Amino acid sequence: MQSQVMVEVRDLAKTFKGKNGDDIQAVKGVQLDIRRGEIYSLLGPNGAGKTTTISMISGLLAPTRGDARIGGHSITREPLQAKQLLGVVPQEIALYPTLSARQNLDFFGKMYGLTGTELSRRVDEIVDFIDLRERQNDRIETFSGGMKRRVNIGVGLLHKPQLIYMDEPTVGIDPQNRRRVLDTVQRLQQEMGMTVLYTSHLMEEVQEISDRIAIIDHGEIIAEGTLGELIQQIGEEDRLTFKVGTQSVPDALLAQFKQEVEGVTSAVYERHDVTNGESETLAQVDGIVTIMAKRGRKALPDLLRIADDAELDVLSVEVREPDLEGVFLHLTGRALRD
Amino acid sequence: MRKIIDIAINDLRIVFRERGIWINLLVIPIILSVVIGLANGAGASSDTASTGPSILIDVIDEDSSPLSGQFLDELRAANANFVLCPLDNNNGDVCQLGGNTFDAAQAETRLREQTSLALLELPAGFSAALESGTNVSIVYRSNEEATAPSYILQAVQATVQRFGASIVAGRVGGQVVADLPGTALGDAERAQLVADIRQRAQTILNDQPSVVNAVIGTPQEAATANDGGFNQSVPGIATMYVMFAIFPAAVALMTERKQGTLQRLVTLPLTRAQILGGKMLARFLLGMLQYAIVFVFGYFLGVRYGSDPVALGLTMVLFALCITALTLALSTLLKNENQAGAITLLLTLTLAPLGGAWWPLEVVPDWMRTIGHISPVAWAMDSYSSLIFHGGGLADVLPYLGVLAALTIVFFLFGVIRFRIE
Ligand SMILES: Nc1ncnc2c1ncn2[C@@H]1O[C@H](COP(=O)(O)OP(=O)(O)O)[C@@H](O)[C@H]1O
Ligand SMILES: [Mg+2]
Repeated sequence: MQSQVMVEVRDLAKTFKGKNGDDIQAVKGVQLDIRRGEIYSLLGPNGAGKTTTISMISGLLAPTRGDARIGGHSITREPLQAKQLLGVVPQEIALYPTLSARQNLDFFGKMYGLTGTELSRRVDEIVDFIDLRERQNDRIETFSGGMKRRVNIGVGLLHKPQLIYMDEPTVGIDPQNRRRVLDTVQRLQQEMGMTVLYTSHLMEEVQEISDRIAIIDHGEIIAEGTLGELIQQIGEEDRLTFKVGTQSVPDALLAQFKQEVEGVTSAVYERHDVTNGESETLAQVDGIVTIMAKRGRKALPDLLRIADDAELDVLSVEVREPDLEGVFLHLTGRALRD
Repeated sequence: MRKIIDIAINDLRIVFRERGIWINLLVIPIILSVVIGLANGAGASSDTASTGPSILIDVIDEDSSPLSGQFLDELRAANANFVLCPLDNNNGDVCQLGGNTFDAAQAETRLREQTSLALLELPAGFSAALESGTNVSIVYRSNEEATAPSYILQAVQATVQRFGASIVAGRVGGQVVADLPGTALGDAERAQLVADIRQRAQTILNDQPSVVNAVIGTPQEAATANDGGFNQSVPGIATMYVMFAIFPAAVALMTERKQGTLQRLVTLPLTRAQILGGKMLARFLLGMLQYAIVFVFGYFLGVRYGSDPVALGLTMVLFALCITALTLALSTLLKNENQAGAITLLLTLTLAPLGGAWWPLEVVPDWMRTIGHISPVAWAMDSYSSLIFHGGGLADVLPYLGVLAALTIVFFLFGVIRFRIE
């Protein structure tokens, strides 16, 4: 009987040397267990340490401390056995641009130890799976971003790995291709029984596909569990967002929201400056007040009245049911988006 | 091993998709070999340029007999490039006599100045002595420089032996015929005759009629007479273009690091040795292909690569290995593609002329020749020059090959220890 645990990560840590000599603690002792056949997501903002964590699990980076075991094989002590179980979909497209899709698949297939008819059969299957049969003999450099991403994923599936990791596979592609990638992830689990380790900074997609989620911030896992378990941690709070444009919001007003309105647990103001690319002149300022409240709809009239009294012009209002964004905000006091 | 070869094949496939690869591999090196060869004097010495350099051997034939003439014919036949002066002088004055002949003293000077590479004196009474079976000395003198090649002495010795043996055989035959009693021989007589011939041959061979005295002259400046032309430009340009073929591996590694394929390779079930081995094998093979292309073309230009194919092959392999290892070492010091491209171009354009790829190091001042030997190119060119110009063999080029091998090991260790993929 195979163990139920596919990946065991124990006290994994990585410290980089920064430019001026000081240490950058990118990952600080991560601990997690991924079960066979589940989609497990690492959710965290940019710079949280997702890529660094996954690079250590895949043997690309040597950990400063700790270890990871894939199917029982230590990535530091039995790297070849561990890597044989692992399919990799790196965050950046990692393909040979001047070779065709098929040549890329062929080459990486050989590197996984596939040969002869088995290799060509697998490449055929993958080409169909990523829906690129017609374009398989065209050079990668002629492909659109979405097509490249599909080949990038295909390479990781060639040897039918038990575990596949995908590092932000939806970054920088259009909604249609993003949909396709998410569907692919779910098909991998359902049709092929693979275990998937998925990373993203987008809570919507993580929420949609994951069986279990770990939230990572500043190199540490700050919460882990199913979506339901995570949302329970914040006690079913609703999230209200007020758009306020260029107006500034004093801290006193935020404090007032918290004190005077029943059920409000936090109120945060954030400014998003949008600059014109070339000239770097300020094109637009988006001010947003995010408020967490139990039964948000009931709290809304009071909040708007207080804002009105303070001469804050609320341009739009949104009320959302409990979600991961709320969990993150609750745990860190910051919004997940950058 | 399988995976190393697959990585190498994949890398070569990528290389051959580069635009202009055949221009770099085929067109430019061939044009340069021709142009630089012509500039260095190929074709200038009109009648011999196409068959190789003339090797001037001064001859003082005091005997001037049919037999001494025969001996010289034999010697000529030993090497197509031998020119016996003054006998073989032509309208182009290949012997550089300026219309005169020379006496023994002048011949000495010609030897010292390396106008000629060897001096052969056949004494008066050469044929008489041979016929009577008494000892005779041919005097062979050469300049001790590496450019006074041992193969001239070897040719003379071989000629002496062959010539001596034929005289012996003739005399044995003659004597046997003379002693024949004209009628049919009985078994006993035949046996007696065979024994007789054997005994006489033995006797005659025991006083071998010729002894060669090699008199080594005083070394002077290195010879430059025959260094020009395609014999210099073909190995020179080939060697430079082997660097142009291999060094871009450093750029390719930077590209692969940037495009993430190198990192992906690390996450596959491969060892670091397999990855690096495959990449280096690809470039080594490309370097050898470059050598083959220019050398084959050089063959059609009339370049002959000496008589030791093993030594030639080893020189090619060791130089290509050395540059491959240097590339690996270099790539651990480089940061990005542009820097890699600039530095490897600069390095090629420094190491090539410094090491004698553009002109023979024999023509540069001593101090420059010494400095030039920091370039691996110099050691390879020393070896080619010994093999192609001077008829050297493996034993002669072993020191050069040793240096190339040592450099290879140093670069390789440096590269392997320092190489980081992430
Ligand atoms: N090679 C490196 N050298 C120095 N710092 C690094 C290196 N790679 C990542 N970091 C730093 O480590 C932190 C985590 O990065 P990363 O793992 O890429 O985050 P994520 O993938 O979650 O966006 C960041 O602060 C990043 O700047
Ligand atoms: Mg990342």
